Amino acid sequence: MIKFEDVTKIYPPSTVGLERVTLHIEKGEFVFLVGPSGSGKSTFIRLLIKELEPDRGRVSVGGRDLATLRRWKIPYLRRNIGCVFQDFKLLPNKTALENVMYALLVTGNANHDSKKKALEILSLVGLAHKEDSFPNQMSGGEQQRVSIARAFVNHPPLLIADEPTGNLDPETSMGIMQLLYRINKTGTTVLMATHDREMVDRMRRRVIALEEGKVVRDQKRGGYGED
Amino acid sequence: MGRISFFLKEAFGSLRRNYFMTIAALVTVFLSMVVLGGVLVFVYTTSALLSEVEQKVEITVYLKTDPDPSQEQIDALQAEIQSWKEVKSSTFVSKEEALNRLKEDFKENPEILEGLTGNPLPASFEVSLVDPKTVDTVAARFNGNASVDEVRYGKEIADKLFTFTSQARNFLLGFIVLLGIVAVLLISNTIRLSIFARKREVEIMKLVGATNWFIRWPFIIEGVTVGLFGAVVAVVVVLVLNSVLIGRIRDSLTFMTVPLDAVPYVSVTLILLAVGVVIGAAGSGIGLRRFLKI
Repeated sequence: MIKFEDVTKIYPPSTVGLERVTLHIEKGEFVFLVGPSGSGKSTFIRLLIKELEPDRGRVSVGGRDLATLRRWKIPYLRRNIGCVFQDFKLLPNKTALENVMYALLVTGNANHDSKKKALEILSLVGLAHKEDSFPNQMSGGEQQRVSIARAFVNHPPLLIADEPTGNLDPETSMGIMQLLYRINKTGTTVLMATHDREMVDRMRRRVIALEEGKVVRDQKRGGYGED
Repeated sequence: MGRISFFLKEAFGSLRRNYFMTIAALVTVFLSMVVLGGVLVFVYTTSALLSEVEQKVEITVYLKTDPDPSQEQIDALQAEIQSWKEVKSSTFVSKEEALNRLKEDFKENPEILEGLTGNPLPASFEVSLVDPKTVDTVAARFNGNASVDEVRYGKEIADKLFTFTSQARNFLLGFIVLLGIVAVLLISNTIRLSIFARKREVEIMKLVGATNWFIRWPFIIEGVTVGLFGAVVAVVVVLVLNSVLIGRIRDSLTFMTVPLDAVPYVSVTLILLAVGVVIGAAGSGIGLRRFLKI
């Protein structure tokens, strides 16, 4: 699903984002990307959605080499990658329902179908009763669930979560994790960057640890720290 | 169809939500268009005045006296003049008429003319032209004509006048171009500000996989709406002011006929509306460009 081959990204003048990273992530995997701030987790994710270009090496997603992807085709790439962020990135002027619908409308879905699908997915994340609430009327956990609903509503083969529980209390985080776990069960590859030691240790999934832009550990069923 | 109504809903929703920015943009468009419209009206009126002044350039052809040319010679000359395509009209002023005019001019102090015996005044043709700039060519044709004594057309005055009017026209044209540029910059800057305030929104849309055009359309509709409304109000203000002001000017400048109908209302209206709409749309499109590069 994801292939990094000898990928290096330097931020001018000389800050290392990623350095010679080579790794494969298979379809259907659940992978934690761990490491301290500035270790390259966000760079990794931004390369995946072609928000950044690597200075060296090759990034491919779903068998597609991103270097050969034309600029105008980037939106179509992103529709196949659901993104969840620490700060939710919901459109502030749209209700929960409209936020989810937006992801459907951009793909050319008709208004009517979009509404139906969006309502379904909202009840799946347990927020059917919040469809008319605006982001600032919802708790952090609720907003994050809306953002997951939006990321998943197109049933993308890949879902990326960048610190999705970073702003949430442990109990709410647990709920979010369960949601991601369920999404993974449907066959979607899930890549989650996180600081949440407890969560990683509990889930026992593949862990890729980054430090100063390099992969320092890649364990099939790992914990947050070294075992 | 569903898409268009979605875009419209997005555009008007955000115009309403960001009403402060909407009003700021409207006022900017309105003011720029009023200034531009005012200049247009001024230019049209001035240009009409200039042509009217140019039309006043006439050739006066004095015929010989002593002996006066015969009626046949006069008729022949008249026919010749009227056959020239540069000539708009020519009037024959007989000796008697010339004397009458002189008497009319001096009717306050008739003693000046008391010593006059007989009629020493020459007959003349007053020739007006289709294009006043051909005055040199036409005047030259009278050289060597047996019955013509002198040709007068105020050569220097005419030359100076034409230099002045053409400079004035160039200046006015430059003024319009300059103002147009100012209006474009002012409006697109205001729109850019309002887009900048929504940078984050655009970023999110990109991340969800919206194409550039999907993001752009609502912004363009917003820009066009603001541009159109600002321009409509400006058109009304400019045209009303024009008719009020020109009426006043005409009353105070009685020595000149101010051409009230010199302003082509339809053109001015269309120009202002078109400029408003185009700048609104272009301002949005260009303002968005840098935020779409994610």
